Amino acid sequence: MPATTRAFVKASILYLGLGALLGALLLVNRWVPLGSAILALKASHVQFLVVGWLTQLILGVAWWLFPPLQIGLRPDLPLPVRRGRTQRGREPLFWAAFVCLNVGVLLQAVFAPLYSWTQIGLFNFLAGISGLFLVVAAVASVVNLWGRVRELGRGK
Amino acid sequence: MPPLARIYVKAAFVYFIATFVLGALMMLNGWLSFSHWLEAVEISQLHLLVVGWITQLAIGVAYWIFPRFLKEQDPRPRGSDALTWAVFLCLNAGLLLRFVFEPFYLMGPSPWLAALLAWSGVLQAVAALSFGWLIWGRIRAMEP
Repeated sequence: MPATTRAFVKASILYLGLGALLGALLLVNRWVPLGSAILALKASHVQFLVVGWLTQLILGVAWWLFPPLQIGLRPDLPLPVRRGRTQRGREPLFWAAFVCLNVGVLLQAVFAPLYSWTQIGLFNFLAGISGLFLVVAAVASVVNLWGRVRELGRGK
Repeated sequence: MPPLARIYVKAAFVYFIATFVLGALMMLNGWLSFSHWLEAVEISQLHLLVVGWITQLAIGVAYWIFPRFLKEQDPRPRGSDALTWAVFLCLNAGLLLRFVFEPFYLMGPSPWLAALLAWSGVLQAVAALSFGWLIWGRIRAMEP
């Protein structure tokens, strides 16, 4: 399992734990009222689980397991010859996707509730730009993985 | 595929079908209005989809394909079977508890329904944290 995948998967598991804890807190709030402010955490709960956990896990595992790029294939052999990292794609671009995705998730999960509680405009701005980071992460991931969505084998 | 992974994946498939059947019934109910329960089940249906189907499938497949423990780390290649069972039971008990009781809570809140829902959230959180504990050591480079 490459280092990039390990970072994606470990981050995704942290978000699973955080998202589930927030979900539990939201449900406990129905039984033991903790204050109406807790309801603002619902957006963070969804963001942690759908983007932080599921999306990030899928991207990390795709980077690990999708067929390698055709770089370094030898047509006389039945299977691709592994040439290490280069066959997975542009690693710096994948790290950039990792940073953007996590910055996007955290900006939204932290500042959307903070804005709801304080009504400070800066927090609204920071939550607002989270979407741009997530779009960059999505485009960078797809651009990097696109060429690896192919049939396994010689020169295919 | 090891037996415990098969249990996760089969359970995920059951939720997959159940969620879509429920979704179809909810759509029909929007047209024919034959059940109040189906009007209140929307959030539970979403959780069946995201937790019961997608998350449970992801957990089952991760348990199956992630690098196994080195012998010096743990003699059990995929970690503790008891903990894997505990994750499965907590996840599904929490999810089903929520699915059964949340619509009734939304139709008419009561303290005991709220308590059951709180426990459903705690069970799912325990499952998530236990899965993290189970799998963390297997997120490692493969041996050459």
